[in-house]
Order: sequence, then structure tokens, then C-alpha cells
Amino acid sequence: MKIDKKKCVGCGNCHAVCTMGVIYLDEDGKSVVNEEECVECRTCYRVLRNEGYRPWFVRAIRRVLKAFRLAYLAEPDVCPTGALTPQELEWPRIIRATFSDPSTVHEGTGVHGRGTDEIKSNDVTGRLRTGDVGFVVELGRPGIGARFRDIEKVAMRMASLGVEFERENPVTQLMEDPGIGKIREDVLGEKVLSAIIELKTKLDRIPAVLRALEDVQGEVDTVISVGIASRCLPDGSVPHEEWVREAGYSLSPNGKTNLGLGRPLFQEE
Amino acid sequence: MTNTLHRQGRPDDLKGDFVIFAHTAKGINREGSGPKIQEFMRICLRHNPVNIGDAKQGNIHQDDIDIHQLISRQGDGSAAAAVFTDLDTLEKVIRDLMEADLGICINVSGLLDEVRACCRKLGIERHSVEHSLGFWGAKDRLPERHILEIHTMCGHGMVSFNLIRKMIEQVKLRRLTPKKAAKILAKCCECGAFNPRRAELLLERFRKGLT
Repeated sequence: MKIDKKKCVGCGNCHAVCTMGVIYLDEDGKSVVNEEECVECRTCYRVLRNEGYRPWFVRAIRRVLKAFRLAYLAEPDVCPTGALTPQELEWPRIIRATFSDPSTVHEGTGVHGRGTDEIKSNDVTGRLRTGDVGFVVELGRPGIGARFRDIEKVAMRMASLGVEFERENPVTQLMEDPGIGKIREDVLGEKVLSAIIELKTKLDRIPAVLRALEDVQGEVDTVISVGIASRCLPDGSVPHEEWVREAGYSLSPNGKTNLGLGRPLFQEE
Repeated sequence: MTNTLHRQGRPDDLKGDFVIFAHTAKGINREGSGPKIQEFMRICLRHNPVNIGDAKQGNIHQDDIDIHQLISRQGDGSAAAAVFTDLDTLEKVIRDLMEADLGICINVSGLLDEVRACCRKLGIERHSVEHSLGFWGAKDRLPERHILEIHTMCGHGMVSFNLIRKMIEQVKLRRLTPKKAAKILAKCCECGAFNPRRAELLLERFRKGLT
């Protein structure tokens, strides 16, 4: 994202809306994006309605108000002059938008943004079957962002356990070698709002995965949101619950439930 | 995506926060799913959700969004979500969806025991369940708990920490009502999973310094 300095009046609305907090006022009183830290989520561009005022007009009003020690107070969800300007992105920077802007559809998965299927279609895909457990390890969330260099560290640690990475997942598709979790070199410096490592293994491997996450979490300079999923038993109970509790971890009271209304329903042999 | 998985809050708050969404799988039930997703949206709409939307087109709290036009433009594999604030309404929505027998995958995010009880009342047993194991890593970089309660209602992370702080301040200064501030926050969440009613109640509480 760029800000057109010819249009910007320095109202600062985009500073608050920026998901990464990387827009600031330059010495000339106009806003500027720290492009190294911007994740190209386009939230500023989408949310701030262009009021379409002429920049000279807004600046003149601001000067007059300032003379009387009064402040110019734009509505918080507008850009008075439409100064936000999305850029044509090229590889590898385009990967930032693919992972950070939920309105884009990932070519490889057909799902919006960094999204993955996890249990959402498990009733028809049978991706997680009886005895399986799925983990979603999301780096950068909530609200901090992550670089692929850190995402790779976690992916490689998980790979060392012999887990199976989900093929229809945007992070897996950036791996040079899913067997070791190595991510292609040219994207390692790119920053995204978050990225999800999605894997499955057997229920009895839950303690090992959690221990490995404990080990690797100190090596990354971002936060990690971790989720765990399994197919319910016929009575509706959740197989992973006991394993997690026995390993000494607690589960959230809320979560996601697949109701099993998809058709054709996947039948286990 | 795991965008509704890690919603934070006290159990009492979470009792007013249920997201229902449709999903499809490539090569199984995605192809030809457009009209079914549209019907999903129409069923949800009949029960007055506090938010409803589609990740590609936006949600009802955004400028210039006409929900009927949005629905008419939904095609195969569109991401559709709606938010409800009570279990009784959620139950009615699920009942209608079961009767419609759309064949697309339906998921609910919310308190798991409550959703399970709701399923049982309707005569179905849940198929799969996903829990959050919380936040790991550099947790010292995270803001205060009350900021996270609002932020995590948009799992895509579109509602910035700074905007939440700004909205709290504007509400405290009475420049914005909690309702108007919640609507501005909801505008940021592209897919419609943000719960503006819950945000409004939280902002009302934060106004008085209760976190």
C-alpha cells in the first residue's frame, strides 16, 4: 500500500486502522507506510471511505482551525481525500496479500486468503478419520504478523516428528520439501498477517507435538495460535480431549463444530 | 481458515456469540454450490443475524453493501457466515438448514457444550470438533485481555489493536456511541464473523473502566 502525498492531509485515520500499526506521519505532515512492515492486507483501503474532498480545501480548513487552536476531526472511518493507493504487487511481495487479505482467493486451495479446510469439510472429505488428530498452528495471530523465516522454524520442527502436512494448504504449497518443512528461499523474508501450518498425525502423538511446540515457541519473534481437531466418536465425544488433558494442557470452552450436514457424507471403511 | 476458533472472553460473554458458516470441498460439494450457499444466506437472514457476509464481498456493516445483491452474486465455494447472539435462534437456523438439506458443510463456532446440546435437541450428533489451545510464542507482544476480546472476533486480524483503543477512547469521550463504534469495528472484518452486538456491550463496559 502507498499513500499519495499529493492527496494526503495527515488526518491520521489510516494509522489506527492499519492492522500492523505501520503507518505514521512523516516530517512533512503527510502519512507514510513503512513498506517493509506492511503486509498488504488492504484493510486501510477497504475500510476508509473516500470522501472525495480536494486536498487544498481540507488543508486550508485545517490551517484556519489551527489558528484558533481548534482540531480538525474527520469521521474515524474515512479518508477525506482518497489518498490510499494500492499497488500492483510482484513476486515475492504478492505473497503478503495472498496471506493477509481475506478477499483474495488462493489459487492453490480455492479458499479465501490464508484459509484452509481443516474440519470445516471433514464430513465430506474424511480428512481426519477415527484415530487421527489435526493441528492448526497459526503464526502471527493475533495481530502481530509473522515472517516466513519464523514459520519455517516451526514447520521444520513439526516435520521432524514425521507428521503429515495438509497438501491443500497455502503454507505447505510454499514448501520446497514438505518432508523436512523447508520453505522456499525467496519468500523467507516476507511478512504476512498470519499463516497456518496445518498437519495431521495419530492421537497418541499429541503429547509429542505439544512438547515440540513448547520447545520451538521460544525461537520465534511472534505469537502462535494453536488449534486441535478430531472426528467425533459415534456418541459425539471428542477423542483428543483426554489426550490433551493428560499431557497437561487445557482446552478452550468454545470452538468449532462441524454439524455433519454435508453430502455425500464420507464413509470410513 | 481458523478465523472463528480463537475468540476470547468470559463464558457469559461467549453465550451471546455464535457464528454459523457454510463451507464446501473442492471436487466433492463445491461445484454447483452457488445456489445452495445463497439459500444458506437467505435462511440465516430470515432469523435476523447481527452480522452476515462473505469474505469476498464484505458484510452488512460496510458502506454500500446491499445484502440481497451480495447474495445474488455468490457463486460456487463462496465463504458465507452469519452471527447470532442466542442459542434459541441458532437452533431455529439449524433446523431450517436441516429441512433445506442443502448438502453443503455447515459449521458453528461457539461454546461447545451449548452447540452440542443444540445438535442433540435437533436429533443430530456433531461430526467433528476443533478446540483452541490458546496463544503461544512471544505472548509479551500481545495487548491487554480486553483488547483481545474484541480483536479475536475477527480471526483474520482485520480489526487492529490501535483501532480498538481509538474506539474505546472515542466512546469514553462520548464522540461515538458504543453502537456506532462497534459498527466501525465491524466494517473492518471482511467475512462477517465479527459480532457487533457483543462489541457494543463490551465497549459500554470499557467506557466505565470495567475490563
